[in-house]
Amino acid sequence: MTLYTHILTQILISVVSVAGVFVLTGMTGMFSLGQAAFMAIGAYTSGILVTKLSAPIYLAWPAGVVLAVAVGFIVGLPTVRLRRDYISLVTLGFGEAITALLNRTTALTGGASGLTGIPKVTTLWSALVSAVLVITLISLFKNSKYGRQCIAVRSDELAAKSMGINVPKVKMIAFLISVAVTAYGGCLYAFYTAYVDPSLFGWKKSAEWVIMVFFGGVNSLTGSVLSTFVLSGLPEVLRFLQNYRAIIYAVLVLLIINFKPAGLLGEWELTPRNLRRIIARGRRVQQPKGVN
Amino acid sequence: MALLKVEHIYKSFGGVKAIQDFSIEANRGEIHGIIGPNGAGKTTIFNVISGIYPADEGKVLLDGKDITRMEQHLISREGMGRTFQNIRLFKGLSVLDNTMCAFDPRSRYGVPGSLLPLPKRYAEEKRGREICMGYLKMVGLESYAQEKPENMSYGYRRRLEIARALTCEPKVLLLDEPAAGLNPVEVGELTELILRLSRELGFAILLIEHRLELVMNISQIIHVQNFGKTIASGTPGQVRSDPGVIEAYLGKEEC
Ligand SMILES: Nc1ncnc2c1ncn2[C@@H]1O[C@H](COP(=O)(O)OP(=O)(O)OP(=O)(O)O)[C@@H](O)[C@H]1O
Ligand SMILES: [Mg+2]
Repeated sequence: MTLYTHILTQILISVVSVAGVFVLTGMTGMFSLGQAAFMAIGAYTSGILVTKLSAPIYLAWPAGVVLAVAVGFIVGLPTVRLRRDYISLVTLGFGEAITALLNRTTALTGGASGLTGIPKVTTLWSALVSAVLVITLISLFKNSKYGRQCIAVRSDELAAKSMGINVPKVKMIAFLISVAVTAYGGCLYAFYTAYVDPSLFGWKKSAEWVIMVFFGGVNSLTGSVLSTFVLSGLPEVLRFLQNYRAIIYAVLVLLIINFKPAGLLGEWELTPRNLRRIIARGRRVQQPKGVN
Repeated sequence: MALLKVEHIYKSFGGVKAIQDFSIEANRGEIHGIIGPNGAGKTTIFNVISGIYPADEGKVLLDGKDITRMEQHLISREGMGRTFQNIRLFKGLSVLDNTMCAFDPRSRYGVPGSLLPLPKRYAEEKRGREICMGYLKMVGLESYAQEKPENMSYGYRRRLEIARALTCEPKVLLLDEPAAGLNPVEVGELTELILRLSRELGFAILLIEHRLELVMNISQIIHVQNFGKTIASGTPGQVRSDPGVIEAYLGKEEC
């Protein structure tokens, strides 16, 4: 397998997780600093079921997602009724607790040295299909009743309640969809690298995803996908910059905040209608000058 | 039975007595004006009725049902629609989608339909769009459905807020200074609109307004608030000649 296939597969797996974060942070305006922990739950649950209990993959992966959603429900329950900033605190604490737990339960998880021997199942193609599928589901969600209500909640919770929107319920739905998608990303990841360890799933990972969503544009799924390619692709392609990853992010984020506060694409989405508009504009530009 | 019955409500914020003993009884087809100087507690009355804050004391009945301690979104679903003094539209949603948000709580599809292209979803979305376009048409915004509210004039945004409140299918409509920031022509159009809505939709309207001529012209009953207290209530004629009102409110207006 070439280096580029490898990089592309990893980016596509990231796209899955970032699309999940988009629902929570981009659409609903909730910041989770423990989202990577749900990826860990997906990765470890499916990994352990397959390696230790020889469960078939078609059961192990859904089990990973379901467990993550169940845990997400418990974590979400006390937070969705509180002010929006509390979710960052609660998820941060939760995420670090999960990492600590994975480090301690050595017999089951392999502790700090990681869980090994996971079969390598994910390919470039299955990652691509997964990414396309998840993007499709989430763009359908964005244009649905709950999608709209998420955006309303992000914009003005009080006005949303006055229009009959059940704000805690909408927040919970956004949170759980995001958790399910991120956990699925975890399954893809574990069965691609064949190895996971707790250090992969700390708050820094979660923060990175939040940055990607912001960089792309808070209300644009297209932007989130694009920025995942740019932000996780750049450091991979420019290997010599690996050690400066954090600095590159910081600079890019500062640039965006200063020059495009709404993110790279703002609210723009790649829809058939918008695409037609671009093509039409392109044609107009191409017309030879001086004919009039 | 009265559509809205508010019985002796009180509300304080720390030492500020924002409402002291306010009552109102509004019937189908009636327009009630609430006037009073800045800080008189008018908006707070709306906030208590619509459930943003619970009343310290007293009761609010909507169509006979006690909604005093109900959650805000449930009060809305019982049939309470409102607009805000300082326009609170949803950013990031088109004009149509702003109104759709008020339909969505009644839309009959769930999370699966929100993620998958199920037929039920498309049927419900269509039903919602038709209802919303009807209300947008009523306020004269049907040709702006795909616009972003941020790009519209102040007067249009106020109308959009009214359309969004109408989409809640209210029994009681609360309008908080709908004419604020409008030019005289727009105020005229708004007055027409409010009268037409009251005639056609048959709900009770409560209207907070600073411009006396607007309230006096279209309300059947006027409540004058000052420092949280109701200093007069009655027909425009009665209120206009009330000595307490002239001193507290109208008097100031003239000088
Ligand atoms: N959430 C709140 N917390 C603290 N004090 C409040 C709050 N809401 C209103 N008040 C106070 O209650 C009083 C009444 O305010 P309110 O907004 O109801 O007045 P109003 O009659 O609507 O005035 P205006 O004409 O300026 O809109 C004011 O003194 C205000 O400062
Ligand atoms: Mg007010």
